[in-house]
Amino acid sequence: MSNDDKRLSTMISRRTLLHSMAAAGAATGLPMLGGTRAFAQEPQKPREIIVRAWGGSWVEALKAGVSDPFTKMTGIAVRHDLTEDNEIQPKVWAAVAQKRVPPIHINWDTTTNATKSALRGVTEDLSDLPNLKSTTELAKPVGLDGYPIVNTYGYVYVLAYRPEAFPNGAPKSWKDLLDPKLKRRIAFYNDGIGFHFPAQVAGGGKIEDIPNNMQPAWDFVTMMKQQEPLLGEDPDFTTWFQKGEIDAACTISTNAREARKNGIDIKWVVPEEGAKFDTDGLWIPKGLPANELYWAKQYINLALTKEAQQVWLDGLGLPGVVPGLTPPADLANDPSYPTKPEDFKNLIRVSSKVQVQNESDWFAKFKQIMQG
Amino acid sequence: MRTYRVAYPLTWRAMDVLEAFVAFVWPPSFRAAVPYLFLLPALILVGLLVLGLIQIADTSMRVLDRDTFLLSDAYSLDNYRRALTEPFFATIAGRSIIGSLIVTVITLVFAFPYAYLMVRTSSSALRKFLLVALFLPFFIGQVVRAYGWLIILGNQGIVNDILGHAGIPTLRLLYNYPAVLFGLVQYMLPFAVLMLAPALTAIPEELEAAAGSLGASWLKTFRHVVLPLARPGLVGAGLVVMTLSLTDFAIPAMLGGGSQDFIANAIYDQFFRTSDQGLGATLSLLLVAVGSLLVGVVFTAFGAGTLAMGGRRK
Repeated sequence: MSNDDKRLSTMISRRTLLHSMAAAGAATGLPMLGGTRAFAQEPQKPREIIVRAWGGSWVEALKAGVSDPFTKMTGIAVRHDLTEDNEIQPKVWAAVAQKRVPPIHINWDTTTNATKSALRGVTEDLSDLPNLKSTTELAKPVGLDGYPIVNTYGYVYVLAYRPEAFPNGAPKSWKDLLDPKLKRRIAFYNDGIGFHFPAQVAGGGKIEDIPNNMQPAWDFVTMMKQQEPLLGEDPDFTTWFQKGEIDAACTISTNAREARKNGIDIKWVVPEEGAKFDTDGLWIPKGLPANELYWAKQYINLALTKEAQQVWLDGLGLPGVVPGLTPPADLANDPSYPTKPEDFKNLIRVSSKVQVQNESDWFAKFKQIMQG
Repeated sequence: MRTYRVAYPLTWRAMDVLEAFVAFVWPPSFRAAVPYLFLLPALILVGLLVLGLIQIADTSMRVLDRDTFLLSDAYSLDNYRRALTEPFFATIAGRSIIGSLIVTVITLVFAFPYAYLMVRTSSSALRKFLLVALFLPFFIGQVVRAYGWLIILGNQGIVNDILGHAGIPTLRLLYNYPAVLFGLVQYMLPFAVLMLAPALTAIPEELEAAAGSLGASWLKTFRHVVLPLARPGLVGAGLVVMTLSLTDFAIPAMLGGGSQDFIANAIYDQFFRTSDQGLGATLSLLLVAVGSLLVGVVFTAFGAGTLAMGGRRK
């Protein structure tokens, strides 16, 4: 593994972001499907394309922002397959290995998961999507050649909290969660995802030492275990906040926002040690007939337009990869919705390739500490 | 011209042809093999399972290359080394085995009086009520039942509401080991009652009456007559509860709050979270081995119970 692969920028570079945003800005004004004429004569349209998606408000946002406009423009129906991302993965891998047509046309996936598929060689190259020209550097998967995946937005693992549990003001540090009054009142993901990297900083270590020396992270996780945190998945956090089970959690801001939409008094911060920033993306499995591959690419191309991103990501409350998007009113200047280079200075981003090569060990270590 | 009169109806002739065909395909000398023919579907089913196990065994000896996310072509025992030496897997194995044993004991203790009352009561209404109460949970899936406990035992649940009225502060009743064991016992109880009921029905009531007429108290009759005769049912029910608890996934996942994984949860993680099918297959095989070992120990110590059917029971 090369050093380039091992570690990409720990904090997103201000200069590169500005550069890419400027370049993308120059390319705005492309038509909705931006340069579909770049493709040769339109191949035969399939009756439908299948897009794997997360359910609930996630798929509703995708439908409103991308799927419905795609159907309106092309006449091709879009079916959303709500199989979990990590459960569709082995099915797609098996289909490609057996040279069968894969069960979906497009996978809406975490970039980390998608990177595994890319490393395995089951993803189509998307470098020829015309609308890539108008995207920021966030769209490019880090640590991989070309565009086996196109990132479509970013998200932050924030420290979400109930203000009434913090009468002296918002927590400033992940160490604030060690307060004895929060014992059994905090939550993390059950594999620790989102918390490994800030724990590395809070434990006195350096981001640059990831993945070779993460002992500071494990020391901090060990301290946090004394708080007997709850460990769960995305839907659990919203439920736990709503049912008063927890006062604070390390979770994706979308979950906290969902709880707030449901009337729970909840806020979030990016603590001084930083918060993990990651991306989700879209990719196409190999093995599709040529005409279906073409239209699947058109779908992703549409998802990269400003119009589609604005509607889709308004629903999710997440920052997109096209410049000039207007944040939802409740997220303007919010640390979980970075738009300006300075917004990224406290966000920690590690190459997906490094993550997939080490996550099995990190998950096991986190679980061993928490369940040991 | 007179029409030729057929000696037999056409359907009879058709039957003759069919019989001749069957006699050709399956001659009378093969008749002794008929019972085995009926076994064939079951053998095919078991054979498919064995084929699956062989496939899993093959996968278990291939190591994941994290640069390509492909399994190695060469065989290796590295997954077994990891499964047997990494502390996390030892932790969850211990938790699963001990949990399944505790659940088995508690479930049998609760199931026995239920089953006994159900088969012995002279009240038809009570028997029907107990039967309905027994089968009702089968109509509700395991996940729904676990969600039910989340509602009842949560911080804002019914139990904490009642405790609150009594001046007791909110208790964390969920997301710990006892909550998982509690959920498993509740899930397993109907299985145990169903396994125990036939064994208790087979004990003649006259034996208990005879013991009583000879001066034995109810407790003595229970201990020296009912319990020994119910042993096949207890063993059968215990085996079913133990193996189902050992391999359960949903209850530890939902009532354990992510901190009480059983082996099945770890297998899921390897297959679907870290994409390491080799290690997942290894853990699966080890789970089968541990389960088989426990069943073997019970068979050796107590016999096969009702699972022995017509065979010799210890």
